[in-house]
Amino acid sequence: MKPVRRALAELQESVRIALGALTGNRLRSGLTTLGIVIGVTTVIAIVAIIQGLNRSFERQVQVLGTNTLYVDKWKYLNLEGDWWIYRNRQPIGVRELKAILRDSQVAVAAAPSVWIRARVDRLDKELTGVSVNGTSGDYLAANGGGVREGRFLVESDVDLARPAVVLGYDIADQLFPGQPAPAIVGQRVLVAGHPFSVVGLLERRGKFLGQSLDNLVLIPYTTFQRFFGARRSISIAVAAPPGRLGELEDELTSILRRVRRVPPGKPDDFTLNKQDQLLKVYRGLTTALYGVVLGVGLITLVVGGIGIMNIMMVSVHERTREIGVRRAIGARRSTILAQFLVESAVVAALGGAIGTALGLGVAQVIALASPLAAAVTWQAVALGLGFSAATGLIFGSWPAWQAANLDPVEALRYE
Amino acid sequence: MTPDGALLSLDGISRLYQVGSEVVRALDGVSFEVQRGEWLAVVGQSGSGKSTLMNIIGCLDTPSGGTYRVNGHDVRGMADDALADLRNREIGFVFQTFQLLPRSSALANVELPLVYRGLPRRERRLRAEAALRAVGLGDRMHHRPNELSGGQRQRVAIARALVGEPSLLLADEPTGNLDSATGEEIIRLFEELHSRGHTLLLVTHEPRLAARCPRAIRLMDGRIVADGPGREVAAFGTAPVVTA
Repeated sequence: MKPVRRALAELQESVRIALGALTGNRLRSGLTTLGIVIGVTTVIAIVAIIQGLNRSFERQVQVLGTNTLYVDKWKYLNLEGDWWIYRNRQPIGVRELKAILRDSQVAVAAAPSVWIRARVDRLDKELTGVSVNGTSGDYLAANGGGVREGRFLVESDVDLARPAVVLGYDIADQLFPGQPAPAIVGQRVLVAGHPFSVVGLLERRGKFLGQSLDNLVLIPYTTFQRFFGARRSISIAVAAPPGRLGELEDELTSILRRVRRVPPGKPDDFTLNKQDQLLKVYRGLTTALYGVVLGVGLITLVVGGIGIMNIMMVSVHERTREIGVRRAIGARRSTILAQFLVESAVVAALGGAIGTALGLGVAQVIALASPLAAAVTWQAVALGLGFSAATGLIFGSWPAWQAANLDPVEALRYE
Repeated sequence: MTPDGALLSLDGISRLYQVGSEVVRALDGVSFEVQRGEWLAVVGQSGSGKSTLMNIIGCLDTPSGGTYRVNGHDVRGMADDALADLRNREIGFVFQTFQLLPRSSALANVELPLVYRGLPRRERRLRAEAALRAVGLGDRMHHRPNELSGGQRQRVAIARALVGEPSLLLADEPTGNLDSATGEEIIRLFEELHSRGHTLLLVTHEPRLAARCPRAIRLMDGRIVADGPGREVAAFGTAPVVTA
């Protein structure tokens, strides 16, 4: 028990001395910590903003189902310079959709999606740039979402290419302001000038990557092709039962290679996009960003640490006689070492605490004044405090080592 | 450890310093013993080796040759930590310039040796208060050094030296920074401590102070040239009573 108690008593004494030294030299301590404060402020602010972005991105990406594959001509977020490979591919069409519906054992739903931006209007209300989406009855099963009024598109709508439309939340709200939902169903609207009858209304879905998901109308893909042509490549959302996404991927690959007549040994001429692909690319970007922030942070901490080392050297010099007295009355070398380490760690951690608070404040201000989000996480706070205290320990160790290894006789004689 | 042996036992102690290419013998074959309860002065001119001797007796330095035992412990080859612990338990230091920690109260200064001994806070507090009362500063415990007079500061320093109940109180020119009246008060305090059974060793160049001690040792060029009653050793020019 005694060594533990001794260590605790000495630690307590060290903290007391450190605080005494800090408050005894307020201006000096303030200037010393300034480097650390600036460094930690910068790092914390940037980390808070990156984490804010991460959160909103990951929340939005949930909109793409985790168990859904998207059969596309293009690859999501392709950052390599080989876009022309995708450009030259044959479009994905109804043939592929039918093959999947007919042959896939794993898929629980497969919904096509093909879209243009068009004008939607009714009486004196006119909306431009509305996303007009051609799909099928499987849309909700493959993409999520639900109907709040009326019905969704059904098989016969597709088979007969009926002029039936399901309205997204914002569209219904803007074309029929103030009207109760049941009254909207059955009314007529014009989609790109063609008359359609409203069969249902969608629930509100929110935003994905800054775009509203409620600013759309859904029509049967057959109707879409009748009015807007059949040559556009379509995207097919295919849903798998939970945990069987990999299986679905293999199965779709073989179905699509067969129906598109890809010779063995040639690469696929289609892409199976996934939600985690977006996350992967996004995480790659933020990891790089973190690397840069960490580099900047480390440089400023080194600069701040040199300031601390300098001031601790001065402090050891000034207190040489005190060190001699402490050694004479029974302080061990390790005690003196710990005392000065605690002092430099306290100075640095104090700077870290101030920097953390300032950084979070700056992040909040940026979040309020710009579209960027900011998130306060315990990791960011721990990072700020931990890094600064570590800086204090690392840069305080050389002066502390010097203090601990003073010869007590010399130290007592020091003028 | 022999409880009934001498408290301090020095046998053929030498201390050599390398100064440039020369070897300086600061101490050269010093031998004597100090019994429990003795009050002893070490006198000598500056350069006589008395500071070196004090550092060795105080376990701040170790001899180049010879054997030194404190309370039965042979300091030769002791590790630095063991020496620190030995100082903490066996030696109470009093310095010429008091050497109190300026930002700490009298009480905190006196508690410090007990912090290094690992005593619980309450016990430290009680013992430090008792030590301050014993030197007549019961009403100044929470003052800082700069709020105390020179004599009061030296009393705080003596309380700090005594609080750990060391075997030996080692004082280096304890009245050197005090006026004569205050110095007299401190000497009276030493007399009182001596009468209560404390072992005291004073290092001084003042014959007046050495004359008050029951025993004194005179050093010259690193050797003992006189060892006897304080009055006789202090009187300069008298024949050595004992030569070592």
